[in-house]
Amino acid sequence: MWDIILNPFVTMLTWLYALLNQDIVLAIVVLTVIIRLLTYPLLAKQQESQRKMQQVQPQLKKLQEKYKNDKEKLSQAQMKLYRENKVNPVGGCLPLVVQFPILIGLYQAIFFALAATPFQLVDLSERLLIPGLDALIPLQRFWTPIPQLVQLLPEMDLTKAPTDNPPYALALPLLVLITTWAQSKFSMSMSKQTSSKNDDDDDDDDGGNVGGQAQAMTKSMTTIMPIMFGAFSLSFSVGLSIYFVTSNLIGIVQYSPQGRQVLDRLFGKKKQDDVIVDVEFEDEEEPVKKPRRTKKKKPRKKSSSR
Amino acid sequence: MIATIASRQMRFVLLFMLAATLSSCVGTRMGVSWPSIGLIELNGLQHISLAYNDQVAILNPSNGVATRLIDPSSGQPIRDSENNPRNWVFSGAAHENAQFYGVPVRLDEESLLIADYNGNLLKVNSIGATISRAYPVKDQIVANLLEADDIIYVPLLNGGVSAISKQDYSEIWTFPTSAGVWAQPLLVGDMLVIPSVNHSLYTIDRHSGAFIWEVDLGGSVASTPLLANDRLYVGSFNRAFFEISLDGVILNTYDTQNWVWGAPAIDETGVVYLADLSGYVHALDSHNNLAELWSVQVAERGIRAGPVYFEQRVMVSARDGKVYWLDSRDGELINAREIEGAPELLGDLLLLEPSETLDIDEPLLIVSSVDTGKLLIAFGVDGRQTWIHRR
Repeated sequence: MWDIILNPFVTMLTWLYALLNQDIVLAIVVLTVIIRLLTYPLLAKQQESQRKMQQVQPQLKKLQEKYKNDKEKLSQAQMKLYRENKVNPVGGCLPLVVQFPILIGLYQAIFFALAATPFQLVDLSERLLIPGLDALIPLQRFWTPIPQLVQLLPEMDLTKAPTDNPPYALALPLLVLITTWAQSKFSMSMSKQTSSKNDDDDDDDDGGNVGGQAQAMTKSMTTIMPIMFGAFSLSFSVGLSIYFVTSNLIGIVQYSPQGRQVLDRLFGKKKQDDVIVDVEFEDEEEPVKKPRRTKKKKPRKKSSSR
Repeated sequence: MIATIASRQMRFVLLFMLAATLSSCVGTRMGVSWPSIGLIELNGLQHISLAYNDQVAILNPSNGVATRLIDPSSGQPIRDSENNPRNWVFSGAAHENAQFYGVPVRLDEESLLIADYNGNLLKVNSIGATISRAYPVKDQIVANLLEADDIIYVPLLNGGVSAISKQDYSEIWTFPTSAGVWAQPLLVGDMLVIPSVNHSLYTIDRHSGAFIWEVDLGGSVASTPLLANDRLYVGSFNRAFFEISLDGVILNTYDTQNWVWGAPAIDETGVVYLADLSGYVHALDSHNNLAELWSVQVAERGIRAGPVYFEQRVMVSARDGKVYWLDSRDGELINAREIEGAPELLGDLLLLEPSETLDIDEPLLIVSSVDTGKLLIAFGVDGRQTWIHRR
């Protein structure tokens, strides 16, 4: 099952290797760029979904206050709010769930294509979908950033960990750490932009319990993930570090406002106006046949953006 | 409520990312090579030698059990500190947690030489299975050593073959290749034939290491060529099988379905049998320009090891965990046996025939898997399983 994703990636990587003058690093970089670009619509959808979720936070908070003693009604009102504003509460997760196997498949394809031992290489015979590519095996796994300075920067073995390579290879885990951190920062600043916009719209909203929690978690991820990936890169092969760095750099571009503009234009995505539809709680949330409650409720102000 | 949903959502994402990260690590194929098996003389009898991961063992061919260490002076078993008889097992823990993928070669009556994956030749006392000394070589080793006269030829994982003096273990010469040598070289007169995964088959002078000729086979060459009719027969990863003259001319080529990794077998009439990594077995006429006699797909997955021929039967083991017996005349399937759990059968096959020095009642086919719970499995030539060696 997993081979459906993996084998085309292994084949593509080997094909790019042939196309790019048998430079495996260039092949890894180009394939990562292609895959990240192709999965951009999913990322954009995820970002859009997150943005919409944050935009309805003030309304959600009001609903929470209003129906704090009636969970059923709160749930109905929330659903209505989501429906009216075309918000999918799990819409942020689904594109991520689709993206992740693709990115993991790409990561594994690099591992399989750079097979260095008989046990790893024997598996490759079942993964190359284009027969002519066999002639390229084994792929060249020794690489130096500047061939003219090979005395100063000896060749790295891309299948080995930075610690088993020349000392300058240790810069790669550091680069992985920095670029992962930078990507997380850009991703967070994008979320903050939307949150602060909401804060401006509704002075009563203090960032919200929801946004607060989510932001706290994102913040901790910003710290944990770079350290985790940096540590992984110390023991993973150098080839995978190159993938991580490339992928992070593309992520930074995708999360930056300028990068998003260019990519949105490239993928023909139109900028949407932030029109939040408020919901009529009084009339529609009450069951029709039940008598109205006598308890007076504060009149609800309609959203000015409507 | 919403806070709970969002929090759950975030937790779900974190958990998913963690699971995916872990699965990406687990899903990768870790490992170096497969078990290597051969025959070695011990106490006047032939035994099975087995090298895999952190151990080398010498086994009794009649039951697959590690043979006892015997004190030659008393003829009694050698015992450990708790008075238990010791078996012939050499552990990599004895020297820098060594790993082994090539079988030992006998140096003299009391010592063996074992190549390790760390790039050392370990001289081991064959009576007590203890290390005498380690001699480092240029690179890691995954293939069998070749010993001839006073020279040990060492195939190197990342390229080249070193000739090491048997007297003092000094390097005599090293013939470099741009990529690894993953199979034992072949000696043809004074020529040493070297298969390399850099796509070339080389011949060099066995004494001086001087280059004689090289032929490009279009894909990696990972098996020892077969010498027959003064010709070399070998396959490559370029989905082809070749007949090459001893002066380096490709005489005939046969296209296969996938990579050819294992060495071919030949019968008494000159029919060459080979298998490929699409699960096909092919029979070619070596007297008629490698004309195809038959070609059948017998396994669902690839066949890494070369076939074995015995009395009009061709036997192969495949990655699908099955062993197949074919009729050599038409390739018809006679028998198929699946090993329990269907472990990948990657190691070379070994055919044993009873003799004065080989104490078995009937011919045995030894198959090796990468599952240490059933590392070696012995079959009669009729397909009946006789023993299993577990680690």
